Amino acid sequence: MKKILILSFLSFAIHAQAQTQTPLSVDWQKIQAQARGQTVYFNAWGGSEVTNAYIDWAAKEVKSRYGVALRHVKVTDTADVVKRVQTEMAAGRVKNGSVDLIWLNGENFGHLKNANLLYGPWAETLPNWGAVDLNKPVRSDFSVPTDGLESPWGTAQLTFIADKKTTVMPPHSAKEWLQFAKANPGRTSYPKPPDFHGTTFLKQLLIELTPNPVLLQQPVNAAVFKTATAPLWDFLDQLHPLQWREGKAFPASAAAMHRMLADGVLRLSLTFNPNEAANLIASFQLPASAYSFGFTAGTLGNVHFVAIPINAKAKAGAQVVANFLLSPEAQARKADISVWGDGSVLDVAKLPAALQASFAKKVPGALLVSVPLLAEPHASWVDALEAEWLKRYGSN
Amino acid sequence: MTDNPRTLWLAILPVLLIIAPVLPGLYWALSPAWEAQVWQQLWLDPQLPQALESTLISSLLGSFLAALSAATLAMLIYPSALWIRLQRHLALLLSVPHAAFAVGMFFLLSPSGWLARAIAPVLGWVSPPTWISVQDPFGLSLALALAIKESWFLLWVLMALLGEQAVSRQMLVARSLGYGRLQIWRAVLWPQLLPRLAWPMAAVLAYGLSVVDMSLVLGPGTPPTLAVLVWQWLIDANPDKQALGAAASLLLLVLLLAVGGFARLAWLVYRRQKKQHLPTGKRQPRAAPAWLKLHIPLLGIGYLVVALLLLWSLAGPWFFPDFWPQSLTLRSWQGLNWQPFWTTLWLATASSVLCVATTLVWLEWGPKRFNGIIYLPLIVPVLPLVAGQYAALLRLRLDGQALGVLWSHLLMVLPYTLLTLVGAYRAFDARLMTCARALGHSRLSACLQLKWPLLQRPIAACLAIGFAISVAQYLPTLFAGGGRFATVTTEAVALSAGGNRRVLAVQALLQVVLPLAAFALAALWPRFNSRNRLGLR
Repeated sequence: MKKILILSFLSFAIHAQAQTQTPLSVDWQKIQAQARGQTVYFNAWGGSEVTNAYIDWAAKEVKSRYGVALRHVKVTDTADVVKRVQTEMAAGRVKNGSVDLIWLNGENFGHLKNANLLYGPWAETLPNWGAVDLNKPVRSDFSVPTDGLESPWGTAQLTFIADKKTTVMPPHSAKEWLQFAKANPGRTSYPKPPDFHGTTFLKQLLIELTPNPVLLQQPVNAAVFKTATAPLWDFLDQLHPLQWREGKAFPASAAAMHRMLADGVLRLSLTFNPNEAANLIASFQLPASAYSFGFTAGTLGNVHFVAIPINAKAKAGAQVVANFLLSPEAQARKADISVWGDGSVLDVAKLPAALQASFAKKVPGALLVSVPLLAEPHASWVDALEAEWLKRYGSN
Repeated sequence: MTDNPRTLWLAILPVLLIIAPVLPGLYWALSPAWEAQVWQQLWLDPQLPQALESTLISSLLGSFLAALSAATLAMLIYPSALWIRLQRHLALLLSVPHAAFAVGMFFLLSPSGWLARAIAPVLGWVSPPTWISVQDPFGLSLALALAIKESWFLLWVLMALLGEQAVSRQMLVARSLGYGRLQIWRAVLWPQLLPRLAWPMAAVLAYGLSVVDMSLVLGPGTPPTLAVLVWQWLIDANPDKQALGAAASLLLLVLLLAVGGFARLAWLVYRRQKKQHLPTGKRQPRAAPAWLKLHIPLLGIGYLVVALLLLWSLAGPWFFPDFWPQSLTLRSWQGLNWQPFWTTLWLATASSVLCVATTLVWLEWGPKRFNGIIYLPLIVPVLPLVAGQYAALLRLRLDGQALGVLWSHLLMVLPYTLLTLVGAYRAFDARLMTCARALGHSRLSACLQLKWPLLQRPIAACLAIGFAISVAQYLPTLFAGGGRFATVTTEAVALSAGGNRRVLAVQALLQVVLPLAAFALAALWPRFNSRNRLGLR
């Protein structure tokens, strides 16, 4: 008993020391000093109240702690922001741009990085980088190296949603999905690519169906694309006639899918947040009988990031905000199912015990079993897949 | 009138300030479309034929039905007590923004909507039917929504035109001569009204061709309408796609010019025929068919939509096939952020006041022949226009600034204020001004003391319309404001991507409340101001 007390006292002391003596580098102190008084325009998807409320909270915190004014610019599609930065640079606005921080990943990051439109590297110099879980794909974004140009913010994993009242046995693989569609004609669908969730669903199917999944980690080329995707198009040719409106129309987004699931128009919906179903139940958007599930062999997952455009006005302020978003406190709050329920990018084992508990909360509706995480294909596959899909199924 | 060049320039300058920067902006924004290769790519796009088809069906059918129902309704009930009552209803219905109306129509018509829920118990449905009642491949549901929404606008325009003293006196004279209602419409009213309806009709048609928000909710998705394609292409990060968007937006313009040209031709043919049957003196005192209660469905759907929005904003859990929510709650209203509301209020107030002032000065001292230039923003599809505005603002370093957003609104509001005021202004009895001048008033003082006070009703209506137009702006606010100026409209559209019907319904209702207040003020203020003057009411 005494031993335990001593041990726990010791660990407390170590923690306390770690908390008080966080060695701030001279550079970082300079950045914090510069950041004070700056206004950071954070361009982030604004379609979810839980996300918006979380950013509101973060804005209050960085204001009181670091004197940084954080403004949430609510975006409907991150591609708009990429376009905005491109347009500003093309018009010769190389500093004092209108965007200071962007929430992004995947092809939006790829476009900005390729066009040299990102400021950095800075991400790995953030004081809170130390607690980041390097086993998660935090250093590559859809197989494109991040090179310190973006800082991880959260994790996501493709998760499916169904309603116990109508669906007792959900499908657990691409093959079972097809059987399920046969048994429930007109009651399955997926968001229309290039919607982010729709494309993710295509990639999930592709990983399961393609003969050699390793090839998907390489940049795409025409010959490989043809052989690798042939089974996918076969599969979709079979699936579409069994779908909602015989595959001649598709829901616009995952949010539309949730509405259709709630209404009983569809039997299955999908999300990139394993806790979303629980959130939707809490806000009356799904019935209490809704539940989450994954595929047995795993589902696609990735990390989402924040990045600073090269012409950003408040670069120091943006880094201070990114560092705060990466702090154990902010990450724990974000992972809290009653707040947002977005997965953390930190190594939970490195955190104080009190914070660890909030990462472990489970609620009905959320994904309760752990589903293996499959890596994203290389970012270049996205455009190729979307273009081919549009060519084949984009018009009737 | 002898115009001195100084006052002429004073009238032209504000209009120039509002319109001129767009021209180089349009050039910058559309220059990618000058390459032949882009057009080739556009023709080869597999989505184009069907997108064109649904665009033409929804816009032409929608505009035609809107004109038909507005015209029929006016012929059935003008003049009558019902016509007067209709004005009050229209004030409410016009305040329902297009996006909010589309959302309400979706709540009503979709396979899981209120109509299906109403008949579900009868037919024993547990799951919604597999109807294609919204987002149909031909854009028919979109056409229906456009028809209803735009018929209110056309009715409003008709009311303004018919409210003019000259027109209502002619009606009085013709009736006292014993002519029947339909006869008077055919021989006296339509020949005067139709030319004046040309611009409002062009605006309706241009709107139908380039509408994005309603198409997203009610239009087909695979492929979407041409306007939605243009929008998707213009915001694409890939420059090739942006070029495609620029070319396709020019295609929208060509479509509009083609349809407009065709309508003009039809008008000329009608005029030639009309000369052959001038009134013969034969009285046909036939009344309008009393059984045709067109105003009931036309207004009823509007009220149903607002009621549905209200119900959704208060709904707890509510799933198919329940006709009524399981519980009602104020939760969606309590969590409301008021900031966008105030931003909308100042933007709409400033832009409507500035535009009405510009319009009055232009109408009084400006060159009469060039009104068409101000109408251009109505005719150029909104997408390239906004891209052009944004390109111009970027170069002026005004993007993301309050002034830039205000300017982007002025350009959209000005054509509507001119449109609503020009008829009344032209119909103003010129002899009154001549009298005033003869009595020694300067032109300005005659305007301030006589003309504008006499025109207070149309001016107030004009302010309200300008206000409503500003409230409904989505793309200009977003582009020019650098996304930094959240209005109730940008909030509603951002939330529509998220899909919570309750919060969406709250924002949609807020969108309704602001213009509604403006229309109410516009109706009450002249009434109050002229309470002792019978002729002004």
